[in-house]
Amino acid sequence: MELAAVVMVPSGLGFGGERKSQAFATITSGTGQALRSALLPILGNDVLQTWTERIRKVGVQDIWLTSSGKEAPPALGQFVKQGIERLLMIKLKSYAEMDLDDLVRFHCQSGSPVTEVSDSRGRLGISVFDQLAFSGDEKFSADDKKSGNLMNRNCTQYPFGGYAKRILSPRERQELIGDALTGACEMRPAGEQIAERVWVGKDVSLAQSAKIIGPSYIGDRAIVAAGATIGPFTSVERDCIVDCGTMVERSTVLPSTYLGAGLLIRRALVDGGQLEDLEDGTVADLQPAGLAHRVTPRKLRRQAFNNDTPIFSPDCNAWIGTQFVPEFQQVRP
Amino acid sequence: MTTGRTILAFPSASEFGSRRIFKRSLRNALRVSEFSVIVDFTGHGTLDHEDIDLLLECVAQSTDRDTQLELVAGSRAVRIVLDVIRISSLVRVFNSLDEALTQSQMVASKLARNVPAVPFELPRSA
Repeated sequence: MELAAVVMVPSGLGFGGERKSQAFATITSGTGQALRSALLPILGNDVLQTWTERIRKVGVQDIWLTSSGKEAPPALGQFVKQGIERLLMIKLKSYAEMDLDDLVRFHCQSGSPVTEVSDSRGRLGISVFDQLAFSGDEKFSADDKKSGNLMNRNCTQYPFGGYAKRILSPRERQELIGDALTGACEMRPAGEQIAERVWVGKDVSLAQSAKIIGPSYIGDRAIVAAGATIGPFTSVERDCIVDCGTMVERSTVLPSTYLGAGLLIRRALVDGGQLEDLEDGTVADLQPAGLAHRVTPRKLRRQAFNNDTPIFSPDCNAWIGTQFVPEFQQVRP
Repeated sequence: MTTGRTILAFPSASEFGSRRIFKRSLRNALRVSEFSVIVDFTGHGTLDHEDIDLLLECVAQSTDRDTQLELVAGSRAVRIVLDVIRISSLVRVFNSLDEALTQSQMVASKLARNVPAVPFELPRSA
């Protein structure tokens, strides 16, 4: 049985067609705003990598990536020519601790051309296709394939009762962070534990008077200034700066975000200058008031300075040159 | 002459002249209003740094006065910005003008009930 896997990241990534998984570096440099929450780290962990590790455990070596938003892109027909009999398709919109071996076994036993995974709250975006579902079989018309109807027709549901969270929903993402910090799921913060339920990444700068209340995570190269309070249930991802006296609780600060001094961030997801309230989903723009904005990662600034060549920063969507770069440089859209 | 409460619309960033007028109106309102001055942000999608400077100036003017300053966010986005800068720990913030007026009415009637009929006499120093 020849099994291959396709990982679909939400559309807007900005790279064309399918690529082999070796090109992860290219993929993570996507700048589409809609993609941020799907590809950006959760407690320093890459969800894409988590999925590829799971896929490899099933014995799949060929993992293909696509940015297409369609259910079954026409290019899937190409897999038949390569002798692929079954295709595992994962849309990068959820984190699920599932046994893919069991899913493939279930699919083979069901005899259905398409098997789709769903939990109590609906589809998880994980499916297995049989060859005839994406080949030129007359059971499926070309229109069906283009419109994604083949997901709805002749589809068997695989009920998943394990741990799953939809990472595109800021609230569920925050729930996943809380569960990972308290050990309620398999995910663990990518860093060193420095106190009870407090993890920090590499090259983190914590001021003496900064207070970290566990469970919390501070990502690589983050700076927490004097008097700032982080936590509980907070994740400050890589290359963030939390300025003096700011309190961040039950929130996530996405990579390369600067938070100004004296702020109170509570139950929110902050990405650059945008803050999304986790209670009602309202988005507030903090950038015009100078309260928060995107910053150039320290590592890239240092590299640009040392190598004497400009470096592209995906988080900032900008080139960093060798000219003088102020400490808190604001990158305007 | 005193009035119960005054409602002032917060000026938009593009109107420099209106900001000056607003500041003057606020000073007058703080002087003549009996209970509160309500600054209304309705119509503002977000706040920029000039808005926040002006708002802090308003708060500074209202300190050490009997008249309270109250804010009406008007939208969730503005309310979030006001909460983020912790202004709600200094002055009362309402979501809508109706809510602010209802609350002010309740406070005013409560105060009216508590006012003693006979003026309180200060103890004489020995």
